Amino acid sequence: MIKYVSEIIKGIISLMQGLGVTLKHAFRKPITLQYPDVKADLPVRVRGRLVMPIDPEKNDNRCTACNLCVKACPNLSIRTEKVVEDGKAKPKAAKYNYNLATCMFCNLCVEACPFGAIIMSEEYELAVRDKSELMIDLVAEKYVLKGKKEKYFLTKYKEE
Amino acid sequence: MNNYSNIPLQASNNGADEYILNMGPQHPSTHGVLRLVLKLEGETVKDIVPDLGYVHRGLEKLFENRAYGQIIPYLDRTDYLSAMNNEWAYVMAVEKLMAIEVPQRAEFMRVIFAELNRIMSHLLWYSAYGMDVGALTPLLYAFREREEIIDMVEAACGGRLTHNYYRIGGFRQDLPKGFFDMLKKFISHFNDKVDEYEALLINNVIFMKRAQGVGVLKKETAINYGVTGPNLRASGADIDLRKQDAYGVYGRLDFKACLRDNGDTWDRCKARMAEMRESLKILKQCMDMIPEGEVMAKVPKIIKPAAGEVYTRVEGPKGEVGVYIVSDGTEKPYRIKLRQPSFSNLSVIKEITIGHKIADLVAIMGSLDVIIPEIDR
Amino acid sequence: MDFKKLLWDLFYDTGKPLSQFYAWAHNLWMQTGLPGFILDVFFQLVIAVVIAVFIALNAIWIIYYERKFAALLQIRKGPNRVGPFGLFQTVADTVKMLLKEDINPDKSDILTFWAAPFIIFAASFGVFLVIPFGNGLIAGDVNIGMLYVLAISGLAVIGILSAGFGSNSKYSLIGGLRSAAQVISYEIPMVLTVLAVVMLAGSLKMSDIVAAQTGNPLKWYFIPQIVGLVLFLIAGNAEINRGPFDLPEAESELVSGFITEYSGMKFAMFFLAEYTNLFLTSALAATLFLGGWQGPFLPPVVWFMLKTYFIVTILMWARWTFPRIRVDHLMAFSWKILLPIALLNLLITAFLIKVI
Ligand code: SF4
Ligand code: SF4
Repeated sequence: MIKYVSEIIKGIISLMQGLGVTLKHAFRKPITLQYPDVKADLPVRVRGRLVMPIDPEKNDNRCTACNLCVKACPNLSIRTEKVVEDGKAKPKAAKYNYNLATCMFCNLCVEACPFGAIIMSEEYELAVRDKSELMIDLVAEKYVLKGKKEKYFLTKYKEE
Repeated sequence: MNNYSNIPLQASNNGADEYILNMGPQHPSTHGVLRLVLKLEGETVKDIVPDLGYVHRGLEKLFENRAYGQIIPYLDRTDYLSAMNNEWAYVMAVEKLMAIEVPQRAEFMRVIFAELNRIMSHLLWYSAYGMDVGALTPLLYAFREREEIIDMVEAACGGRLTHNYYRIGGFRQDLPKGFFDMLKKFISHFNDKVDEYEALLINNVIFMKRAQGVGVLKKETAINYGVTGPNLRASGADIDLRKQDAYGVYGRLDFKACLRDNGDTWDRCKARMAEMRESLKILKQCMDMIPEGEVMAKVPKIIKPAAGEVYTRVEGPKGEVGVYIVSDGTEKPYRIKLRQPSFSNLSVIKEITIGHKIADLVAIMGSLDVIIPEIDR
Repeated sequence: MDFKKLLWDLFYDTGKPLSQFYAWAHNLWMQTGLPGFILDVFFQLVIAVVIAVFIALNAIWIIYYERKFAALLQIRKGPNRVGPFGLFQTVADTVKMLLKEDINPDKSDILTFWAAPFIIFAASFGVFLVIPFGNGLIAGDVNIGMLYVLAISGLAVIGILSAGFGSNSKYSLIGGLRSAAQVISYEIPMVLTVLAVVMLAGSLKMSDIVAAQTGNPLKWYFIPQIVGLVLFLIAGNAEINRGPFDLPEAESELVSGFITEYSGMKFAMFFLAEYTNLFLTSALAATLFLGGWQGPFLPPVVWFMLKTYFIVTILMWARWTFPRIRVDHLMAFSWKILLPIALLNLLITAFLIKVI
């Protein structure tokens, strides 16, 4: 009998504790981030999709079509085409086909590039309506970085 | 009539109360795409057969065609909740093959991220488990703290779920600025939060009644089935690879393996709760002990280990994560075998659920904390 | 007639103008020489429509309220996209439900499958007849009011069973059977607690029970019957299959229990019935234990709503805090804990009534 009653009382206490926890939280501020309206402030290392930004000093991208990134990519998401423009020693990428569909945002290509020509941007809303839009020519895109990432890119991945 | 193709389960016709229930692959509490075929009598489970393979991606075969450095991101996709630990097991194997000495700072960082990862995984387990037993609020509370950790990890490696941070020889990048401030803030309040979790769900009388004495996993059974991790320690076996192998710098840290005696559902939950607190202790120590310096060892550009084989293991959040590499001296591994805990942990389910109710089956499944992509790979 | 007085009466003594209006209309009707029951049927229909509209509006509000309240407990914001503060979220959801395809599962038992939502809805609809919303604002003040409530609300289990049976799904069937067991075993402690109140009031008639509690809050029955109130809330919550007693639709075990196979409007009916039942249980608790519509200053309807929503909030609070009870514990809880306490409560009440 005593055990029966004490068990009930213990049970009630534990239930009260649970109610207390939820009650306490009723007075805390909501942690919701109203996503499409308010966006999180992302750290500079964040890995969005791959871009090949324009280097303002050269007014062109830094790629030399050396294909190291192609070799580094585990998913074969990158294909390049090389051209050598007249009168210039260094070759250039005429096309840099990046397949967003197979990319897994691993950053290995960026690490492999000796010239710091590519970088993973802050873009993460990557849904498209047609599969063909997932094949992106990064050279033709002439991407211009902004904000934190730009500094990160210009200083070749140095953080202040 | 009951044509469950490969499932050797038949409701006996003489006992009229038996029937077959197909649970999954799409079911709210199978955590992904696990299919369980149950033989029930009323609500009591008479037999159970898990059907695996719905998310098989052939990772081990895939590895044979990748260079050593390219394998790391794939490991994030086996057990996506313990990506850091999986990576660690793998890079440790390659380092052992090539006899690479990892810098001290990197070793400490590895411990930090592995422990953060462990807390992350346990928090997700807690929230999903709350859903399993019908409490919907724990999810939100646990995710609040999990978000904090993810933000830390994101600042360090740029990824939230698939980190790809560990490298053969150390780390890709050093810790970002302000990382330790975030960590300190997290450590300062996390213990109170764990108290809250316990008060809300684990110590609730309704839950205790459901969990105590249910799904008892005996120590011998657990060892025979190869169960590892918190599930094993809840059964009373003092096996914690962090203690036993003392890999990394775990040997220099002061913590204890969280043991329980009964091995029932409740003990498994308690063990995980205690582990979160232990992890916090480890984090605190690492924060004080971590030296300055390099985070990457001198590693050749092209990783080409000598022919040979190696097995390394780490204590992941769910148990022993092992990586077995056979190298034939080329740039690509000859064979990689992953030994991951969820497979063995799930295999024990038949032993511990028969005779319980469906509701218990859900509670037991949840308490084993299995991750389906890890089982199927 | 004094207009101000009429207005006052409408709010504070609603029964009087209503019966005056009825007498006036009856007189007028009788002069035409047509049989009187046609008018009565007409009035009944009007009442039914009013109740139906009330149920719909109330459900829309209560669902919104539950979502907001859950959000409050879960440190998030809840619906806030459709309309101001997300007030029209439920409306949008309802429209979505109406437009959805109404699926009949293959090999389902069409009759039981279709009947189930209507039975469940009718059961909760019927109870509204005897809920005293205000002073005299009660559709049919029958003298066995409380008995009627218990009888009619018990019908819902037939609907749940037929949903479970008709769906031709094992999950639904288990859910339906669980529900039958649960409702039957929780009916008993519930009846016993109600009995204690009835003994105190000396009547089964709802208006008498309210009147017996008088306008003085210290005389309301939650003071002598505090145990009874708690028991009633627990049993009532179990009766309407809401968390932590939501076993018949236990999401993680039975997908959605007896509603697994329903879609579209039929699903909406179940949903509507669930929230109407929540309101009803709270309204009953307010009537039996918190003095019904009585209270100072504010009009009776407002008091009634306030009390009801107070109880609703408590039930929601419990739902969003506790894990689900297991099916055998549920039974054990009812028979081993609730029933003895309810009996004890009844005995002590009876004893005290005799002594005092
Ligand atoms: S991020 Fe990874 S998968 Fe994507 S293109 Fe670069 S290397 Fe390939
Ligand atoms: S992006 Fe870098 S690695 Fe890739 S081809 Fe251009 S220069 Fe070479």
